[in-house]
Amino acid sequence: MTAYLLNLATLAAIFGILAVSLNVLVGYAGIFSTAHAVFFGLGAYAGAQVALLVTPDVALASLAATALAGAASLCLALPALRVRGEYFVAASLGLQMLATTVFTQAQSLTGGIGGLVGIPPPTLLGLDVSSPWAFFAVCLAALGACLIGIRLLMRGSFGRSLMALRDSESAARAFGKDVARLKTLAVAVGCALAGLAGALFAFQEAFVNVESFTLEQSILLLAMVIIGGVGTLAGPLVGAVLLLLLPAGLSFLPFIPPTDIGAVQQLIYGLAMTLLMIFRPAGLAGRPVGQR
Amino acid sequence: MIRRRTLLMGSAASAALLLACRRAFAEEAASYIIGTLFPMAGPNAEYGAIFTAGAQMALAHLAEDKMLRKPVELRAEDSQATPQGGATGMTKLANVDHAVYTLIGFTGVSKAAAPIGQRNKVVMVNGGGVGPDLSGLAPLFWNVIPLIDKEIAAIIPWLKAQGAKRVAVLYVDDPLGNAALKQISDALPANGGTLAGSFSIAPTAQQFGPIAAKIRESTPDAVYFASYGAQQAQIIKQLRDNGVSQQLVTYSAATIPSVRDLAEAEGLVFTAQLSDWTLQDPVTQRFVKDWREKYHSDPTTYHQNYYNAVRLFGLLAQGLEKAGKPVDGEALRAELLRVRKFALVGGEGTFDDNCNISIPIQINRMKGGKAERIG
Repeated sequence: MTAYLLNLATLAAIFGILAVSLNVLVGYAGIFSTAHAVFFGLGAYAGAQVALLVTPDVALASLAATALAGAASLCLALPALRVRGEYFVAASLGLQMLATTVFTQAQSLTGGIGGLVGIPPPTLLGLDVSSPWAFFAVCLAALGACLIGIRLLMRGSFGRSLMALRDSESAARAFGKDVARLKTLAVAVGCALAGLAGALFAFQEAFVNVESFTLEQSILLLAMVIIGGVGTLAGPLVGAVLLLLLPAGLSFLPFIPPTDIGAVQQLIYGLAMTLLMIFRPAGLAGRPVGQR
Repeated sequence: MIRRRTLLMGSAASAALLLACRRAFAEEAASYIIGTLFPMAGPNAEYGAIFTAGAQMALAHLAEDKMLRKPVELRAEDSQATPQGGATGMTKLANVDHAVYTLIGFTGVSKAAAPIGQRNKVVMVNGGGVGPDLSGLAPLFWNVIPLIDKEIAAIIPWLKAQGAKRVAVLYVDDPLGNAALKQISDALPANGGTLAGSFSIAPTAQQFGPIAAKIRESTPDAVYFASYGAQQAQIIKQLRDNGVSQQLVTYSAATIPSVRDLAEAEGLVFTAQLSDWTLQDPVTQRFVKDWREKYHSDPTTYHQNYYNAVRLFGLLAQGLEKAGKPVDGEALRAELLRVRKFALVGGEGTFDDNCNISIPIQINRMKGGKAERIG
């Protein structure tokens, strides 16, 4: 039981990083991206390749993943500078579809649908951190660092400028804010952190393929942020934990016949999400728009 | 801020979860647990239902025969056909349900689950995926279905005998499809044939009209397609709708109801392991008789495979119990490699050093919604 709970807790920490990173875009900068799984995937592939070809050091792999995802964030920043709202959603959707195809076709880098197998157990500065407890501690530390970093950023002038931009882009521009620079930086920070989560995910699963970085994953991440509460530090974390643990908890229901388990779980899962949004429209840990 | 009511609801849910866990632990010691890790929702749920039905019939037979000293219980996990779902599901089956033996399907799920199963000494048995990369995935990862290379080796001589010299190949761009293309490309010249053209499709593709036009242009005598899941029915329908009238040929993935019930699939030729329901051996006869009584239709090869997978557990565990050995992953593998040959549905199955089954292949033609053996 401990191993299972640790696995879930480690996944919750990794998806917590992903959700808080997406919250930088959605919650603080008002950029509704449906392509966050792309940067998660880039990080996972970069981390896996570093582990397979260079060293299984989780710090180095994470650094490479963060750098690659951060650099690739320009692909998302460029449309974000030109369009917003529903037009940007469409543009990010296109990026997600493009990336899924590239992940599938670039077989020498990603292994295609077959994926990358045999990712070695992680080490950290020469120490073995492959045991579930040790790797959970690594992921938890990474999550803690991300939360502290985001809190510091958002409490400073960068964060305040971002939120001004989110609430009214033209007003922010009128007050002399460099909108292009702010948006590019916000996207770079969010995507780089998604890359970090990707590298940790690659070590945790020891196998990565394109099926983990699809549009469904991007939508799930968006749901984590919205259900938890956008524009708050704790909200995305609550959303990530809830959306990961709810299906896990449902799998313990003893009265569901084996052939119906998937359908019943999906029904309860979908119903719970709908009810949450009806009764807590600002998210579980969210604040109404005027109080953010 | 999180409200007090939300916290109370969360606490209640946690308490219910803990109670369910305690119940799971209490049951575990008294029985052998077989886990299933199939997609049970979404577009691939059809496979999950088929796989589970085969396993459930074998469980009923194990219980009727009182083959084992302890009862065998089935615990289902929804893999969602994703690697993450597979890894999480396998972790739960191994660490919470304490399954000693699991049934698995789908390549991505298998690859993600294999290291976890191996680490926890849980046997994983695939009866659905036929990709060549499923061979030797881990010492405790076994295949009770012949992999695709054996199916293609059987169909090429048949195509030659039918005078189909030019063969077009439509394949999913993944390890399975690429392996099928390579083997067909290599085997055709040796059998006096040529590759009329090869056309790759993405696993998520749903529109095949433009590819059908290209296939028509390549003027093949037959079209071989390597795909799986709901996509197969779309390929067949759209090729026929777009004027591809040549013989369509595929492999065992076509033995699912969505293909069988498709009017355009009439005449489809496909390979599968030997599924001769008229065989007179008692294992096959009992399986077929009980299946027809319960479901009023003939079983498919997937039903057969997962029945065989569970029956194999019964035979191995029975051997271990008689020898006074523990029934765990390592002991089950040692027993499999010691015995090697087992009386299964469809005849005798023989396992090689990689724990892959060898079983004769037959060629079928779809006729009136049923598979008719033609070779």
